[in-house]
This record gives sequence, C-alpha cells and structure tokens, in this order.
Amino acid sequence: MGWLRRNVPGAAGALIVAIMVVLAVTGPIVWGEAADRIDAGAILQGSSPGHPLGTDNLGRDLLARVLVAGRFSLLLALAATLIGAVAGVVLGTLPSVLPARAARLATGTVNALVAFPGLLLAMFTAVVTGLGARGAVLGIGAAIAPGFARLTQTLAARIAGADYVSAARMLGVPRRRILTRHVLPNIAEPLILNLAQAFGGALLGLAGMSFLGLGVQPPQYDWGRLLFDGFPRIYVTPEVALGPAAAIALAGIGFNLLGDALAKAAARTSEARGQAAGPPAPGPAGEPEPGAVLEVRDLTVAFPGGVTPVRELSLTVAPGEIVGLVGESGSGKSLTAAAIGGLVPYPGRVTHAALRLDGEDVAALTDRELGTRLAMVFQDPLAALNPALKVGGQLAEVAVVHEGAGRAEARRRAVDRLGQVHLPEPAALAARHPHELSGGMRQRAVIAMGLMGTPRLIIADEPTTALDVTVQRQILRLLREVVEETGAATLFISHDIAVVGELCDRVVVMYAGRVVEELPAGRLVTGAAHPYTKALIASLPELDTDRDRPLAGIPGSQPGPAQVGAGCAFAPRCALATERCETERPELVAHDPGQRVACWEVK
Amino acid sequence: MIIKNLSVRFGRFTAVDDVTLEIPDGQVVGLVGESGSGKSSLARAVCGLVPHTGSVTGAPRTQMVFQDPYASLDPRMTVAATIAEGAGAGEVARLLDLVRLPAELAGRYPRELSGGQRQRVAIARALGGNPELLVADEITSALDVSVQAAVLNLIRGLREELGLTMLFISHNLAVVRYVADVVAVMHRGRLVEVGPAEQVVGEPAHEYTRALLAAVPRLRR
Amino acid sequence: MSRRPGVRRLVRFLVSLAVLMVVSFAMIHLIPGDPVRASLGPAAPVELVEARRAALGLDRPLPEQFLTYVTGVLSGDFGTSFLTGEPVGEVIVTRLPNTLAVALLATVLALLAAVPLGMWAAVRTENGRNRGTDLTFSATTGTAVAVPEFLYAIALVAVFAIALGWLPPAGKAGPATYVLPVLALATGPAAMIARIARVETQRELGKDYVRLARAKRLPAARLHVRHVLPNTLTATLTVGGLLLSSLIAGGVLVEYVFAWPGLGLKIVESITQKDYPVAQGVILVYGAIVLVVNLAVDLALGALDPTSAIKEA
Repeated sequence: MGWLRRNVPGAAGALIVAIMVVLAVTGPIVWGEAADRIDAGAILQGSSPGHPLGTDNLGRDLLARVLVAGRFSLLLALAATLIGAVAGVVLGTLPSVLPARAARLATGTVNALVAFPGLLLAMFTAVVTGLGARGAVLGIGAAIAPGFARLTQTLAARIAGADYVSAARMLGVPRRRILTRHVLPNIAEPLILNLAQAFGGALLGLAGMSFLGLGVQPPQYDWGRLLFDGFPRIYVTPEVALGPAAAIALAGIGFNLLGDALAKAAARTSEARGQAAGPPAPGPAGEPEPGAVLEVRDLTVAFPGGVTPVRELSLTVAPGEIVGLVGESGSGKSLTAAAIGGLVPYPGRVTHAALRLDGEDVAALTDRELGTRLAMVFQDPLAALNPALKVGGQLAEVAVVHEGAGRAEARRRAVDRLGQVHLPEPAALAARHPHELSGGMRQRAVIAMGLMGTPRLIIADEPTTALDVTVQRQILRLLREVVEETGAATLFISHDIAVVGELCDRVVVMYAGRVVEELPAGRLVTGAAHPYTKALIASLPELDTDRDRPLAGIPGSQPGPAQVGAGCAFAPRCALATERCETERPELVAHDPGQRVACWEVK
Repeated sequence: MIIKNLSVRFGRFTAVDDVTLEIPDGQVVGLVGESGSGKSSLARAVCGLVPHTGSVTGAPRTQMVFQDPYASLDPRMTVAATIAEGAGAGEVARLLDLVRLPAELAGRYPRELSGGQRQRVAIARALGGNPELLVADEITSALDVSVQAAVLNLIRGLREELGLTMLFISHNLAVVRYVADVVAVMHRGRLVEVGPAEQVVGEPAHEYTRALLAAVPRLRR
Repeated sequence: MSRRPGVRRLVRFLVSLAVLMVVSFAMIHLIPGDPVRASLGPAAPVELVEARRAALGLDRPLPEQFLTYVTGVLSGDFGTSFLTGEPVGEVIVTRLPNTLAVALLATVLALLAAVPLGMWAAVRTENGRNRGTDLTFSATTGTAVAVPEFLYAIALVAVFAIALGWLPPAGKAGPATYVLPVLALATGPAAMIARIARVETQRELGKDYVRLARAKRLPAARLHVRHVLPNTLTATLTVGGLLLSSLIAGGVLVEYVFAWPGLGLKIVESITQKDYPVAQGVILVYGAIVLVVNLAVDLALGALDPTSAIKEA
C-alpha cells in the first residue's frame, strides 16, 4: 500500500492502460454490431437515452463506435511505435558499427531529424504515401524514430565509453559479444521504458492526423476520425465530440503517467523507509565554555529509518585554533560540518544540547550575524562558485546583503579580499567568471568570500581534496595565514590524516558517527591511543615507510549509519576487542593532558 | 617492455608528448604526476584504448585496472561472469583466491560489494587475461586509507608470487614509492625524471620532482 | 571545421537548409504515379494533364527541374497552386505572420507561466519535503502534458465560445480571437517547461554554490532569483526553443480547430486536395522556420552561457 500511495499517478496510469487494453480486446466483440447498425430514422441526433453520445450521419450509435474504435486506434499506435522503435534503434546503433565518417553522417542525420517536429515529418510521409491509415502509421513511425535513435545513440555511447567495456575489449572479447553482453543489456531497460511514452505519443499523433482528415479514411474509423466527423457538429450538439475526445485524452494521459512512473522507478535508487526512532533527547545545555568560539555539545544528526550518521558529538574550537576532524568515508564528518553550518538537508534532523558561536546560541543569532561571522569552504571550488555570476559580484554580495554596503564599496572590498588571498591582479579577476580560473585560484576566491565579513568560525570541508598536492600545499599555507590574521576558530574536515596532522593544532578522530579520540596533532604518531587511530596511521604509506613490510590496513568495513549496535562500533574490526566491547560502548574519557579516548582497552 | 616516442593528441592538445619509458620484466614502474600531466592518457595509449603515435613493444597482452571501482564492473554481470569473460569459467575460483576474496562472492553482483572488493574483482579479471603487463590507473584513489593498504599489499604480494610486470599510476608519490621499483615523474605530458624509487624520492634530480616531494603532506614524528 | 562555434553553427544551418531544399523538391517526385493525374483525378482529359505537366516543367530532365526549383525558391517563386492558380509565395506571405504570431505569443506565455511555477515547485519539494505538493504537481503537469493541443482547442471552444459565449469560436478578427488559440497552444508546452524548470532547479539546489550561499545566509528570494535562476535558464530555454518549433507544428491542429488563417490550415487543405505545389512550399517554409529557430536558440545560448565557449572547444 505504501508503494501505491507514493505512486498514485503511476497507478492511475496503469489502471487506465489496463482498461484500454481490455477495451481493445472486447470492444469490437461486444459493441461491434451496434456500432455498424444503420438507422435511417435517427440520423445526426444529439444525446438521448437510446444514444447517450448521439448518432452519426447514418444513424449509427456514437458511444458504440467510440468503444469499438479503441482497438483500431491502439493497434495503429502499436504499429507506429514498433516501426519507430525498430527504425530508431537501428539508426541509433549505426554509428557504433559504421566506419568513422559514415558514423558521423548517421549521427548528423539523427540530430537534424530530431529537431524536426514529428507532425511535420508525418505530414511529409503522408503526402508521399497517400492519405489513409497506412500513410499515417508510416508517418508517425518516421516521426518517432529520430527520438529513439538519439536515445539509443546516447545510451550506447555512454556504455561504449564505460571502463568495463574497455576491460572487455582488452580481454579480447569480440565486438559482437560486447554488443550483446554489455551494451544491449545495459541500454535495453531505458529503451523499453521509453516505449510506453512513445506509444502515448504515437496514439496522439495518429489521432491528430485522423482529426485533420489526413489519417484513417472511411469506412474505417479510429478515435481521431470520429472526432473529425463530430467536430463540425459541436455548435449544435457538442456531446458528439465528447466521446472520442475523452477517449483520446484518457489514453494519452494513461500512457504518459505510466511511462513517467516507469522512468522514475528505474531512476530511483533504493530509498530508506520507515520512521525514525527519534534521536535521543539531548542533555542540558549548561554554561558556555569560556574562551571557545565554537562549542558543540551532544550533536546528533538523524534521518528517517533509524539512520543516525552523527551521534552525540561534542567539540570545542578556541580562537585562532585549527581543529582537524578526520575520518574515513561514512564516518559522519561532513554531516557534522553541515550541521554546525545549519546546512543539513531535509529530512535530516539535528539535535544538540548546545551549539554556540562566541558563547551565543546559534539559533538566537540573526542571519546577518551568522552570514558575516561564519565562513565555509567546500571540496570542489568550481561547484562552490556560481558559474553564471562573476567572481567579484559573488564576493560583494555578502557586504551588500548583510552590511548594506553600496555597490562600489562592496566591490572595492571584494577586490581587496581577493588580493588578501594572494590572487594576482585582483581587480581584473573580480570581473571574470569562475570557469576562467584554475582550481587553486577558485579555492582562494572561496576563502576570500569568507573574509568578506568578519569571520569568527571557518568550516573547511575537505578543501584540498580535489586539488593537486602542490596546490594543496599553497591552500593549506593560506588557510594557516588567514587563521593567524583573523584569529578565527577553524574546523578542518579531511579524510587525510597526514594533511590534518600537518595543518592542525588538535585532531578529532571520528568513526561511525562518534568521536573515538581527540589529541594534539603533534602527538598523532607517538601518542595516539585508540586502536582505530593507530591503525589509520599505520595504513598510510609515507615517503619513509618500510617497503619490505606490509601496510597495516584494517580488515572489514565501517558499519553503515543505521547498523551501529550497542557496543563499540569499531569492535568487529579491532584486534583488541573483548566481549565487553561488543556489548557496552566506551565513553570518551580523559587520557593524557589534552587527549581523550573512547576505548575500554586503553589504560 | 618498451614504450618509444609515444604521443597522444586530442585535437590541438598534446596530452602525452614523446614519452619513452622502459618497463623491465617482473618489475613495477610507478608513474606519478598531477591532474592533467597525461599519465592516464599514457596508460590508455599503452593499452590501445586511445589513438597514439609511437610504439609499444614487448607486451602483446596488456590488461588494465581502472580508477573507479563503481564504473569498471558491468552492473548486470556477476563476479564469476565478469572474471570468466577473459579467463574462462574454470579459472574463477583460482583467481578469486589469488586476490584474497572468498569463493562465495562468485555469485554476487557488483552492487553487493564494497569498493575494495570491487577493485579486487577488477584485478582478478585483468589477471585472467594472462597479461605480460598490468596497467593500474589510480586504483586506490577512490578507496579509504585502511582499504587502500590492503590493495597495495595485494599488489606487492602478486608481484612476488607471479613476477608481474606492472605500470602503476598514481598522483600520490608515497603510494607509488611504496609499490614501485622504478619511479617515473610526469609533468605536462613529458617525463621529467625516471629512476630507482629510493633515488627519485631521496635525491630528486629534477626541479619539478623536488617541488612535488616538498608538497607531500607528512605526519610530524 | 572552423574554431568559432558561431561560424560552425551557421555552416551546419546552411547544410541543413540545402538538404531541406532537396527533400522538399523530392517530395513531388516520390509520390507514386503521376502527381498531376492524382491531383486532377482520373476523369481529367489527357490534354489538360499534359498541359499542366508541361507548365510545371515535369516533362524536363530531373537536374534541370531541380535547378529551376532552387532558383525559383531563392527568388521567392514557389510555383502556383494547382487549384486556384495563386502563386504559392503569395499564400505564404499572407499567412505566415498569422501562424508566427500565435506561436510566439504561446511560447512567451508558456515560459512566463511555467518557469516560476516549476521553480516554486522545486523549492517547495526540495529533498522530498511536501509530498502532497510533489504529487499534485507531478499529476497535474503529467496530465496536462499528455493532452494534445487540439483537444485543448476543442474544449476551449466548447466552453468559452459555445457554452459561455465569451470569446469568438473561430476566425481572426481582432485581439479577442487570439486568446483561445494561444491558450490551446501554450498549455501543454507550459506543463512541459514547468517540469523541466523544476528538475533543473532541483539539480541546482543540490549544488555547493547554493550551500555556500545558504551558509552566507542570503535571503531566499535573492538566492533563488539571482543564483539559481540564471543556471536553470540554459536548459529551460533550450527546451523552450525546441518547443517553439513543435508549437509551430502543433499550430497546424489548432489553426484547423479555430479556422485560423495561417499556414497550418493551408497545408491541411492542400494535402487533402492534392494541391502539391502548395503543400511543397508550405512544408519547405515550415522546415526553414524550424532551422532558423534552432539556430537562433543555439546562438542565444552561446551568448548567454559563459561556459559554452569552452564546452564547444
């Protein structure tokens, strides 16, 4: 039932299509005789109890004719769809079979044809083949083909470029086998899904042709032809046009809704279901910690279905301090950053005992205060800058919106900040679009954007992961410099423990949504206590790692955010784990000065 | 195996510019470079996947392992079918064992595997082709460190066991140094330095190699 | 191939135009049997058929005919109607503006109504919130897209012209007569554009620059209008441009319902009456309009999208 509720349109479409199919099978059998019965005494009548939709010029019952015409209408549409699909798929596969020059010609032809409205192609074909059902079917088939060809081409090109096809080619798998084993199975599904929509289109196209008098000719009739006959009479008896019009509309809607739903179902990846058990009630907020710019207490991020990627996380960052938040993919580190920045996407729920900036509750801060005090830097600087706007304008915006600066003043400040992050010719650069900058320059621009206000907290989420090492080095240096100049507290999120160790003052290690260890960065190598932190460091090949000894590695994998049990989440992968670790979760407790560890086995 | 005067051009852009490189039998040559240096184009050219000029001699059978473990396996084929495509069905169990994967994974589909497991399947598939040369293009850059370690160990183990000849490509100098006997440094389509791994890392001759080395993040000991 | 994308597009356009010319010329020759005989009917005297064939130049060798056709078209001579003897060029000149006016008005109306609607729906249903809105929007637009323009036209006539008598049912006489044809033509495409605008907006809302703008606590209106809208326009306008050419074709059916004196009505008449020179001329013009529209959309997008110059290279 849940499926049905989420797919009302799809279910409605399926129902309509089912009715249409039943009608096509039974219609002529049940009403065939009534539809052909000529009644000279009831010519061109409107609605009456005997003829709910009236009669035609030979006194035949229009309701019966509409019900009977369903089969012919659907069969014609089916024929046109099949012609179009087969021709399209053949035309679409040609480029991958033909030599390069011919392939380009085929592609070009398809591209040119796709741009032409189907009805125009259909009319052209109808002129050449003559009026009638045959011409219309061929015409609509011809009109459908280019779309199918384009789809086939796009899909086939995507698959042909896939790594697994390259791998098969290198293994000497013959071309034909690659086509049948790799390409066709992977493009069949979207192509078949497209059939439902193409069918709907064919049905409407044929109805249109018949309605114009260019399609089915008497004595044959389809819905479009019935509408053609009924249309001139709508001034006197509008109901005679109602039947065929409703039939055409219903069929079009049915197939379209069904096609939509099928496409959506194919595109949807498995979706989390069920309701959240609800995050635990956070503890009391307590007094603000003196001297901390950022203070997070018991931060939990939960999604429906018991998915809890961040669990009761607490941390503080002092002014001018860079705290590294390190963990592997799925540890919850990026969601932690998003939660602190107020950017957790729906339907995620964030709860916390305290989330304070400069000792003030973040919820109590105005947008203006937050917008100027908080700076964020993301992984991909190209994605983080708006491609449609000039760099300078994007920077100036903060000053305009939050500080009421005039355009000239805001612009002047933007140029100044671009200079502050050591971008050459900042004035010229401000007038450029992001795509004209290199990766490193873009990341500098994003950092400069953070400097437009008076940043108290900088959240940098994997800011150098997308960059080359030489550029990474420069950006890290710049971050350090900015922190020293502004005295901002900085939360630096990274998967790379070496980068974190190098840049940060303090390191917070996350595993499966929780902090497992917190220690001064300088003591990572010598003083790490948690088995996970140690294993992470031992797994990392460095420039002086002994090449004759295997790297440590960690067996198994991190549990998903819905699969964390009652005990220590790391226990299943831990060499030191005891029975207690499996059942009882260790709290984060003080270990050495400045160090806290959550592990039963660390004494 | 010798790559001689190999160039790859895309239109007016020269991705690989006249590269000559020898890969001695039974050795691992590590190729390091930043994005856009042409290292992946070189890999694809060696495998015959992109048009190129120049010659590649001495390795008639080349296989490749790709960077993205999520895109390199056909989603509609089981592990067994994937491996059997090159090696034949009889070899599947042996190859799975070789890459330290349990035999019961044979019936699974890629979506049921972790990233590290997928990468092992891709390695098994490549080994099934009985290659004289195995090209590994950034095979650990999509993996977590703890998983990367296991794959690197596997690569080193395979070299010992099978005497595999290999071109190992990565942007990460430390990773390359760990698995390779010879390190080649690529910059803007050209090879700027080639030498024994310890020598290139210990006494870099080229300015660019030195810059690259200086940029590698290190843990403070 | 030229490196300038604009020039390359122009070359492509000219090639397509040439192909179109060949195809429209070929149309008459692809008709099985004798088009003149087919047109005049089996009862027509042989002398008349022969005279008509000679007048059309159908008795001359093909290459010569083609040359005559091309030079004729280029100088505005599209031949004469079998039935009325009117020059086809004149028919086109008098009727084309009527067709274009309705199509353009419908395109503008569709874009103006649909883009804000699609954006609104995207923002309201971001990340799957407000399932009710999502469902209503999908079902409504999914239904509206699936109903063909001629049914909208008939329904509008039945309701507003016949039942209510508010607007004229047919013909072209003053601004009021435009209302129903434009509405009939715009409804389906509007639903389509709204869906596309929604998908595009949703995609943009998931990008980091939106997260960054939200982190900067920009007001929602500014975020959506200044940041998101420009990035959705490229795709939306591409589709809008393609829709304009399908609107021109869909206009055929709408013109038929409203007896609108445009090219569409003419082409239907000419095909039914086997008036081949008219059909040939009108199809050529329709095809040329489609090509011009696509070229214009391409060039406009090139000018609009700062990154397109790079993508082309």
